[in-house]
Amino acid sequence: MSQPQSQPVQNPLTLVMRAKSPEDFAALRQRVEHLMSLPPDQNPVTVALNKIGTVHFARFAFLDNDQLAVITTYDGDFEVYINEFTDEIGEVFDAILSHVENAPPLPVQTYRKEFLDYIRAHDLRCVGTFYSAYPDRTVLDILESAPA
Amino acid sequence: MGVNLSDVQGFILRGYAMPVGRCVGLTVRGPEAARTLLGSLVSDDPRVPRITSAQPWEVKPDCCVNLGITFPGLAALGVPPEAQASFPVEYREGAIRRAALVGDVGESAPAHWLSWLADPGLHLVVTLFAQSWDALESTTKHLARAWSAGCVELGRQDAAVLPGNVAHFGYRDGFSQPTIADVPPAGLPDPLPPAPPGEFLLGYPSQFKNFTYPVPQPEVLGRNGSFAALRILEQDVDAFAEFLRQQAAATGMSEELIAAKLCGRWRNGTPLVLSPDTDSPDHPIPLEQMNYFDYVGEYGDEKGYRCPIGSHIRRMNPRGSRVAGQGGHLHRIVRRGLPYGPPYDPTQPRDGQPRGLLGLFIGVSLRDQFEFLMSHWANDGTFAPGLGRTNDPVMGAQLSGPRTFTIPRPSGPVVLHGLARFVTTKGGAYCFLPSISAIRYLAALA
Repeated sequence: MSQPQSQPVQNPLTLVMRAKSPEDFAALRQRVEHLMSLPPDQNPVTVALNKIGTVHFARFAFLDNDQLAVITTYDGDFEVYINEFTDEIGEVFDAILSHVENAPPLPVQTYRKEFLDYIRAHDLRCVGTFYSAYPDRTVLDILESAPA
Repeated sequence: MGVNLSDVQGFILRGYAMPVGRCVGLTVRGPEAARTLLGSLVSDDPRVPRITSAQPWEVKPDCCVNLGITFPGLAALGVPPEAQASFPVEYREGAIRRAALVGDVGESAPAHWLSWLADPGLHLVVTLFAQSWDALESTTKHLARAWSAGCVELGRQDAAVLPGNVAHFGYRDGFSQPTIADVPPAGLPDPLPPAPPGEFLLGYPSQFKNFTYPVPQPEVLGRNGSFAALRILEQDVDAFAEFLRQQAAATGMSEELIAAKLCGRWRNGTPLVLSPDTDSPDHPIPLEQMNYFDYVGEYGDEKGYRCPIGSHIRRMNPRGSRVAGQGGHLHRIVRRGLPYGPPYDPTQPRDGQPRGLLGLFIGVSLRDQFEFLMSHWANDGTFAPGLGRTNDPVMGAQLSGPRTFTIPRPSGPVVLHGLARFVTTKGGAYCFLPSISAIRYLAALA
C-alpha cells in the first residue's frame, strides 16, 4: 500500500543544497568534515541512522565549491518515517540549513511539513528507473539475516 | 500543562465500559437549528442530554453522548472557509477520498458502504454508549427530539457487548490502550513510555520532539479537540473459523494455538509473550499484567518465537520491537467500540447474519495514527524484519502480497498460506471531536 509493490522497496535521495555565500560554504564544509571525521559512536548522523534502520547508505559530497549534496538510499516513501527521521537527525539539518539558500523555517522539528516540502523540492531524484540489486530487501531484513 | 478534563470529550481519554452503543449519522438541513442543537448539548437544558466530558464521574451515568463532525459538517454549521482550511488535509479529504490509502478497496470500497456512511451529506455523528438498551433508547429519543429541528437522520448502527466480552473472532478485546500522561489512568498499565496528551489532544506537545500538531483555528475551535476514524468493520467469522481448521490440519498445530499466533494473544487475552504455550498458565496472569509487557529487553522475544512479529497486536503496537524508524510507540491509537450482530454459533455456520465491530480510532492526527497503522503496519510488512509484503493476518486487506503468515520457531518457521480478507469495511467517516468550548463556539456562529 505504501507504494506500488512492483517497485523496489528502496528509494534514492539526492538532496542538493546551495550555500548562501562563500563564507557559508566554508562553514558548511568545516562543519560536515568535522562531523564525518568523528568516530561512529560519536557521530550523531551515524547514531541516528543506526537507530532509524531505514537507510542503506548515506554520504555527503560537495559540488562546485558552493553546494552540499546528501545522497542516500532508504526504504519506503520518504515521508512515511519523516517524523522519526526529524526526531533523530533534526539538529544536524538545522546546522546545515542555516547556511543554505531558501532554507525552510528552523528548527525543522517544529516546522516538519516545511522541512518535508523543502526536501521534496531539492531532491534531484533519479533519471528513469532506480536500480536495486535486491529490490525486496529492507535494511531491517538484511541486518536480521546477516550472520552475527 | 494540565488538561482541563471538563473541556474534553470523554471517550478520547477514557473508555466508558458500557455494554451497548449506537452511532447515529445526521445531515444538517437548518444550520441555525443545528447550531441550537449543539448549544443545547453543552447547556444545562434538562430536556437534552449533555455531551459527556472526561471529567471523572461521581456517579456513573446511564448513558454517555459524544459528537463528531465531518469536514462537510463544519461548512454546514457555518464555519468560515478560512477556519475550515486550517484543518489537516486528511480530515478535509475525508474517509471516502482516503479509502484506498487504508485498504478500503474492492469489497471494502466506499461504493459498497452502508448508504449513510457513503452519503456526502453526512455532517454529524452522535455516539452513545449506555448501561442498558432502555437507557440507550430513552437518551436517543431525547436527542432525536432536539436534533429533529435542524437535522435529518441518515442512518445508525447499534452495537452490544458479546457474552464473555469477546469480539466475533472469539478474542477478548480492549486490553491495550495507550497510557496518557497527565490525565487520570484509564486502562491497564504497561511498561511503555506514557503518551503525551498532545498525541491525543490538539494544543499540547506531541509524541514527536519539539512538535505540536497545528491547532485548527480559531484556537477555541481546535484546542482540546481530537480526530476519530469511525469504522464499521464486518467480520467473516465463517471464513476465519474455516482458516483455523485448514491450518490446524495442514500444520498439526491446534486451532487455538494458530488463533493465538495470528493475534499475539490467546483468545482469553493472555499475551503469547508472557505465556507462549498455554492460555492458562500455572501462575495465572492477573488482569493488571495483561498489558504489562514488551517484546524486547528483559522480555526477550526479538525473534518472535513466542509472539510472531507479524501478529495482529505486534503489528498494531510493536512496543520496543525493531521497526523501521524505530518509532514502535509513536503511532498509538485510542480504540473505542463494541461488536454488532449476534454471537457466532459454530453449529449454525453461514447464518447470513452481519457481524462486526463498530469502532472509533482516535488520535490527534488521522494521518500519523489511524492511516499510518492501516497503510504501513496492517497492509504492508516492510516496516519490520522478515515480513516482506505480508499484511496483518486478522484484519489486513490481503489485496496483494503473499497472503502468508509466518510463525517463527527456533527450529525453522511454519508458514501459513491462503490468508483471506476476514474483515471488510462497511463504512467509515473521519470526524473532528470538538472540545466543549468548541461546541459552544460552533453554537454561537451566525
